[in-house]
Amino acid sequence: MSDIPFNSDVERTKSSPRGVRVWDLPVRIFHWGLVLAVTITLVTGFLAPEWRLDIHVWAGYAIALLVTFRLLWGLYGSRHARFASFVYSPKKTIEHIKGVLRGKSAHYSGHNPAGAVMVFALLVVLATLTVSGIIILGGQENLGPAAGFIPFSTGVETVSIHRLVAYGLLFLIAAHVIGMLVESHISRENLARAMITGRKQDAASQPIIMPNATINSRALVIVVIVGLTGGGAYAIMSATPASGIVKFSPDDTYASECGDCHYAYNPSLLPRNSWQGIMAGLDDHFGEDASLDSETANSILAYLNKYSSEAWDSEAANNLRIVSVKNPLSITATAYWRRRHGEIDKKVFEQSNIGSKGNCVACHRDADSGRFDDAAIFIPAPPVPPKT
Amino acid sequence: MKSLTSTICTVLLIVFTSPGFAGPQQDAVVNYYKELAKREFSASRGEAFFRAKQTGGKPATPSCTTCHTSSPMNTGKTRVNKPIAPMALSKTPDRFSDLKKVEKWFGRNCRSVLGRECTALEKGDFLTFMISQ
Ligand code: HEC
Ligand code: HEC
Ligand code: HEC
Repeated sequence: MSDIPFNSDVERTKSSPRGVRVWDLPVRIFHWGLVLAVTITLVTGFLAPEWRLDIHVWAGYAIALLVTFRLLWGLYGSRHARFASFVYSPKKTIEHIKGVLRGKSAHYSGHNPAGAVMVFALLVVLATLTVSGIIILGGQENLGPAAGFIPFSTGVETVSIHRLVAYGLLFLIAAHVIGMLVESHISRENLARAMITGRKQDAASQPIIMPNATINSRALVIVVIVGLTGGGAYAIMSATPASGIVKFSPDDTYASECGDCHYAYNPSLLPRNSWQGIMAGLDDHFGEDASLDSETANSILAYLNKYSSEAWDSEAANNLRIVSVKNPLSITATAYWRRRHGEIDKKVFEQSNIGSKGNCVACHRDADSGRFDDAAIFIPAPPVPPKT
Repeated sequence: MKSLTSTICTVLLIVFTSPGFAGPQQDAVVNYYKELAKREFSASRGEAFFRAKQTGGKPATPSCTTCHTSSPMNTGKTRVNKPIAPMALSKTPDRFSDLKKVEKWFGRNCRSVLGRECTALEKGDFLTFMISQ
C-alpha cells in the first residue's frame, strides 16, 4: 500500500534493535485513551448504580471525541493510520483468516486484514453507542444536546438498542484481544507492545511516513471546520431548554400550606387524580387532619392540576405517575419509588438531617425543579452527635 | 408630677398583669378567645391540657406533646420529622400572632388529637400557658 501520495517529509527509521516505527504517537494515544474511556463506560454502564451516570456520560463524550479524531486521522494521518492503507478485499481477508487458522500469517506492517475489519467494526459500534447514548440522555434524563428534542419514550426505547450494541462491543473487544494474542503468537511480534512503543521488531516492516506540509494544512482546515460545526451544533442544541421539564414559578400559598408538616412536594410527582384525591381528603390526610379553608384549598388544587405529572415529560413524572393501586395518593408507595430507594437503609431516612423518606429535597438537591437528576443526588452524612 | 407617677404605675400594672412577653398581636388573639369563653384563663389548666393523653382522636396523635414534645421550650417534630419551632413565646417570638394561623392549627391539631374542635376555654388556657413560657 505504498501508493499513498506521500512525497516529502519522509521519516525513515533505520532498522534498529528497537525495531521499526510503524504507529505514530496520535494513533497510540488514541488507542490507549479509547481503552481507558471504553473501560470506564463499560464498568459504569453495566455495574455502577444509575446515579453514577455522570462518569459514564463524560467517558462517553471522550469516546465521541476520540472516534471523531480517529476518523480524521484515518484520512490525514501517517501511513499506517490511514484507512486507505488497510482496506482489503473480502477475498484477501478470508485468505488471511484461513492462514491464521492454519498457524501461518503473512507479514503486515500496519493492520492486518482481520485487524482492519476490527478497527472498522469498533468505530461503527462506538459511533452507534455514542449517538444512542446521547438520545437516551436527552430523552430519559432531559440532559445533554438532545434534551430539547427527544421525548422520554424515545429515550427509554433506545436503551435496549444501546444495551444490545454494548454487548456487541464486549464481543468485539474479546475477539480483538484473542485475535491480537493469536497473531502475536504466530508472527512472534508482540502486537500489544507495538501499540505502546509504536515499533515492530520485524525488519521487513515498512516504516512510518508522516503526512507532509500540504496534507497537514489541508487537515488543519478540515479539523477547524469539523470542530466549529460540531461545537456550534452542540452549543446550540444544548441551549435549547429540555423538552420534558416545565418552567414554573413556585406557588407561595402551596409552599406555606403544604410545607408545614413535610417538604412541599413538587407537583410533577403525582398525577392529577391523586392530587384531587389528596385535596378532597385533607380532613383525614394520612392519619392526620390537614384541613384548609375552601378558598385556599381551591387555589392550591388549581396550581397542582396545572403542574401535575401530566404536564411533564421528565423521568420522575413518567415513572411516578404509575401510582400504587392500594395507596394511590402516595409517592413513596409507588413501585418505582420503592425500587429506586430499596437499597437505602431505613436508618438513613431517620437521620436527623433527612427525617423521612418523604423529605426528597434532603437527598435530591434539585427536587424543587422537578428534575431529579442523578448528578444532584447527595445523601447527607449522618450528623456527628454532640460530645457530652 | 402626680400624673407621671400614675402613668408609670399604669404601665407597670399592664406589664405585670399581661402574660409573658406577649405583644399586642398575641393580646388580640387571646382577647378574641376571652370574648368567646367569657372566663379568665389559667396557665396551669393550659399546661394540663397540653400534657393530657387523649383518646378521641387519631391513633397516631394521642397528645399535643406527640409533636410539640413534653417541653414548650423544645423544638418539636411532625410525624415525618420535620422540625417545629418551640411553642414557648420566649423561644419563638412570632408565635400566636396571627389569628387565622392559630385557628387553622387549633382546628387541625384538636381534631387530630381529640377528635373534636377545642373549646374557646381550652384554646385560651393553652395560649396563656405558652405565652407565659
Ligand atoms: C398537618 C400536617 C400536614 C399538612 C398540613 C399536610 N400534610 Fe401531607 N402528609 C402529612 C403526613 C403525616 C403524611 C404521611 C407521611 C408518611 O406517612 O410518611 C403526609 C403525606 C403526604 C403525601 C404523600 C407522601 C408520600 O410519602 O408519598 C402527599 C403527596 C402529601 N402529604 C401532600 C400534601 C399536600 C398537597 C398538602 C397541602 C394541601 C399537605 N400534604 C399538607 C401531613 C401533612
Ligand atoms: C435518603 C436520601 C433520599 C431521599 C430522602 C429520597 N431519595 Fe430519591 N433517590 C435517592 C438515591 C440514592 C437515588 C438513586 C438510587 C439508585 O439509582 O441506585 C434516588 C433516585 C431517585 C429517582 C430516580 C432518579 C434518576 O434520575 O434515576 C427519583 C425520581 C427519586 N429518587 C425521587 C424521589 C422522591 C420523589 C423523593 C421524595 C418523596 C425521594 N426521591 C427521596 C435518595 C433519596
Ligand atoms: C401531628 C403533629 C402535631 C400535634 C399532635 C399537635 N400539633 Fe400543634 N402544630 C403542629 C404543626 C406542624 C404546627 C405548625 C408549625 C409551625 O407553625 O411552626 C403546629 C402549630 C400549632 C399552633 C399554632 C402556633 C402559631 O404559631 O400560631 C397551635 C396553637 C398548636 N399547634 C396547638 C396544638 C395543640 C393545642 C395540640 C394538642 C391538642 C397540638 N398543637 C398538637 C403539629 C402538631
